[in-house]
Amino acid sequence: MAIKARDRIRAKLQDEHTTVRVLLAHPMHTGRGKNEQDELIPAEFIQDIRVWRNDIEVMIIKCGTATARNPYFSFQLAGGASGDRIAIRWVDNVGAKGTAETTLP
Amino acid sequence: MNKQADLQRRALVKGAISASTLAMVASSGLILPRRLLAHWPNDAFTAETVEDALRALLGEAEIADDKQIQFKLGAPPSYAVNGASVPVEIHSSLKQIERIAILVDKNPNPLAMSLELTPDVALPFKSMIKVAEDSEVIAVVRAEGKLYRTTREIAVDIGGCA
Repeated sequence: MAIKARDRIRAKLQDEHTTVRVLLAHPMHTGRGKNEQDELIPAEFIQDIRVWRNDIEVMIIKCGTATARNPYFSFQLAGGASGDRIAIRWVDNVGAKGTAETTLP
Repeated sequence: MNKQADLQRRALVKGAISASTLAMVASSGLILPRRLLAHWPNDAFTAETVEDALRALLGEAEIADDKQIQFKLGAPPSYAVNGASVPVEIHSSLKQIERIAILVDKNPNPLAMSLELTPDVALPFKSMIKVAEDSEVIAVVRAEGKLYRTTREIAVDIGGCA
């Protein structure tokens, strides 16, 4: 990857809900795509994403190969207070990992 | 006094043991990431038909078609220029949703995403998926032990499952 993009996470409090948006930087190769030399690119995709709020696990997202490149997710958490820490952690099929964390303003 | 010191020592030893156990678990996970993902439902994600994927993911269960799931796909609706990133949005008035699965009928592996929710999570859930060709996209929701399913058609100009 030429540009090293970072995983991003944003959270905001809105009408007594916490809206969380997550954008991960990941190529999500399915194992069926080919490069310029017409060689198959080996599969490399995120399989498991966990979401925590204040160290309590609130959601598990399991992805197959059909999740788009640079996966984007948006969801809401009931309630929430200023200072809540929202964290995510992902693992892909080759064992790469990433984390992102944000604090509610 | 002596007894007090002994108790402290015991607590220390106990703490040291549990800390080292934790470290061991963590390091074994680092060495063998696949083991950590033993619960990733491989059968479901590599299944080649919607029925197989659902059976592997949820077990055989009766699925009711349901209007309580609002399911938006593509922008403008039901159409996508680029199949490599098709926006999908799921909203539902159902209570106590435990699980959501998104499947694309004509993809080589239909199961695109599987979510496990706790009561803390509120919908809508939005994401992007890949769609290989004009196809049906299916959302399956499990709430209060029942399964509900909603289907949408999508047309794509450029297939996006490479």
